[in-house]
Amino acid sequence: MEGKKSPLLSAFLSLIPGLGQIYAGAPLQGAALLLAIVVTALLIQWQGSTFLYVGIILAWLWGVGDAYSLAQGRQISLVPPFLIIGVIVYIIGWQVTDIKLMRLITDVADIKPLVSNLLQPAVLERDIETQKAEVIFESPCSDSPPEKGTPLEDEPYLIILDKTCGEVGETFTIEGGNFWPSSRGQIWWLNMAGEMKRRIRQEGEYLTFQTDEKGRIPPLTIVAPEAFGEARGKGPQRSRVQALLKREVGTIHPSHTFFLVAEKMMETIFLALMATTVAIVFAIPVSFLAARNLMGGTPITMGFYYLTRTILNILRSIEPLIMAIVFVVWVGLGPFAGVLALAVHSVAALGKLYSEAVESIDPGPIEAITATGANRLQTIVYAVIPQIVPPYVAFTVYRWDINVRMSTIIGFVGGGGIGYLLQQWIRLLMYREAGAAVWAIAIVVWALDYASAIVREKIV
Amino acid sequence: MLQVEHLTKIYEDGTLALDDVSFEVPDGEFLVILGLSGAGKSTLLRCINRLIEPTEGRIVWDGTDITAASGEELRKIRRHIGFIFQEFNLVERSSVLTNVLSGRLGYVNPWQSIIRFPQEEVKRAMRNLERVGITDLAPKRADDLSGGQRQRVGIARALMQEPRLMLADEPVASLDPVLAHSILRYLEQLNREDGITVICSLHFLDLVRRYGSNVVGLKDGRVVFQGRPDEITDQRFKEIYGQEAERITVT
Ligand SMILES: Nc1ncnc2c1ncn2[C@@H]1O[C@H](COP(=O)(O)OP(=O)(O)O)[C@@H](O)[C@H]1O
Ligand SMILES: [Mg+2]
Repeated sequence: MEGKKSPLLSAFLSLIPGLGQIYAGAPLQGAALLLAIVVTALLIQWQGSTFLYVGIILAWLWGVGDAYSLAQGRQISLVPPFLIIGVIVYIIGWQVTDIKLMRLITDVADIKPLVSNLLQPAVLERDIETQKAEVIFESPCSDSPPEKGTPLEDEPYLIILDKTCGEVGETFTIEGGNFWPSSRGQIWWLNMAGEMKRRIRQEGEYLTFQTDEKGRIPPLTIVAPEAFGEARGKGPQRSRVQALLKREVGTIHPSHTFFLVAEKMMETIFLALMATTVAIVFAIPVSFLAARNLMGGTPITMGFYYLTRTILNILRSIEPLIMAIVFVVWVGLGPFAGVLALAVHSVAALGKLYSEAVESIDPGPIEAITATGANRLQTIVYAVIPQIVPPYVAFTVYRWDINVRMSTIIGFVGGGGIGYLLQQWIRLLMYREAGAAVWAIAIVVWALDYASAIVREKIV
Repeated sequence: MLQVEHLTKIYEDGTLALDDVSFEVPDGEFLVILGLSGAGKSTLLRCINRLIEPTEGRIVWDGTDITAASGEELRKIRRHIGFIFQEFNLVERSSVLTNVLSGRLGYVNPWQSIIRFPQEEVKRAMRNLERVGITDLAPKRADDLSGGQRQRVGIARALMQEPRLMLADEPVASLDPVLAHSILRYLEQLNREDGITVICSLHFLDLVRRYGSNVVGLKDGRVVFQGRPDEITDQRFKEIYGQEAERITVT
């Protein structure tokens, strides 16, 4: 150290962190310390955990000591204050991202139904047969309340035992017969037109019944629910009370969900296929423009080379998900937006890979074919194409594989395909259906991955 | 007769690779270009069929100025000049047959050749493969071949051109010494039996003595020797190869 710095002055200056170091001849370290302490203090202020200031003060005091001894020509390490600051930043990060590790253990029960539903994807089902009967209840009472209903001979029936009208919250009792014996059923509440309905809940539980061995529904007390929407409070309204039994019959067959998933999966695969093929058409000419060995001739061609490279790099840096959002806004929800998003991204990705393939071709054969008196086209066909086709094919298959994966994600923002379906099922908490979609994606992605690996191995 | 007149090549980076090179090659000669690596042998050979553009000078072949030819005319000239490369320069992923057939591209209809070659050309290719003794390799991919086999494919490809002049740029430098003779004997045969003029660059003096009828010695792009192989005395040898050079014997 080229000395004569006052240690006391240096320590005094260090009341502003880092200034002492700057004075004592370590400007970079001083500036870094100042910046680190200021930024960390701001972070603490923002997060509001004032106790962390203790750490700042420690780091600051250490800085004062360091500046003092630095001026004497021997530096203490600045590692400890930076370490303290690192720990503070980490604690803040922990708070900001809301990390609660205990939840992983305490709330593990929440994940069970999801996992078990995902493990029983709704791919197979049996046909459902139903039995139902209804009576009418009026609320509030009018001058001529509805009939109580009559027991029937052979068909399922439902009757009201006590009163067929009353205020919301009053109870009435129903009874029925001729249902399937010893089965559990549900009670539904419908408006007269039948287009509005809901299951009746009492004390938070869905109301159910159990038929006896003769198929009778034993007397069941119901608290009269509110009428539906618009009809509420507009004088006496009639509603239908329905007893419903369901059972599975016939053989197991692929479910509706299965076909839906299969259809959307095909849409996804095609989405990726269209995006990839569109991308190939553009990427091939682009790849020649972006190949240094082909464009190296003149400053003008080099200009094109740099321009193409820059555009490709920019396009490649935009996430396909963002592009999908842009195209959804542009051309509307659906697979077309997904095709466009993936195509644009793929042009950039393939263009780069293709151009690297062009750049790595061996000039020897081109020289040899030229020497035989072949023209330019023949030279390309016989010397260039055999060299670039295998990498082009390999990259393309690989890209298609990636695009299938990406298109499932792109569906989440409305870009069509199975991702769209999956996202809706997850929101509606239909986990068994979601499970079917997840399995389909896993199987297709695995199969394509495997196939593309084989193709690449065979070619390269 | 091939006349090289005041040939000079300066690369874009300023390297002077050939410096006022002049010599003549009468028809039917086996001319060896001798020189250290970097002497300008490859540049010289490639200037003759214009794979490299000469900076100055002329190359005249049987009265035709090769250096002045362009486009179609140049292609017509090139197809009579075979070229054999040190690194063989085969299209690795194509079959041996396709590689040999590609030597005929200067003759066939360009559009047709993109799809397929006429049957008679396939027969010609098989005859040339027979000549270099590897008919059975025709369906194999070039990258499945050994070095010696590759160079034979290279020769068969050049033969498809029915050349009157054969340029060979260190054709045996990438091969075992034992294989070197077998390859050079094919060139010798073409020279003696078919009367093809051969210009071949070589490294080893013993090979030069054995095969060459005339020698041009190059050093740093200049001609430092011109004469018959037996005229290369130890003194001459040192002029070409530098003072520290020792003679190595290859059998
Ligand atoms: N494309 C090129 N650009 C610049 N210099 C080159 C190029 N090719 C060869 N040279 C230089 O020209 C000189 C002659 O090279 P070359 O003809 O390959 O010699 P040789 O075949 O005898 O080894 C060497 O100095 C070499 O470095
Ligand atoms: Mg060379």
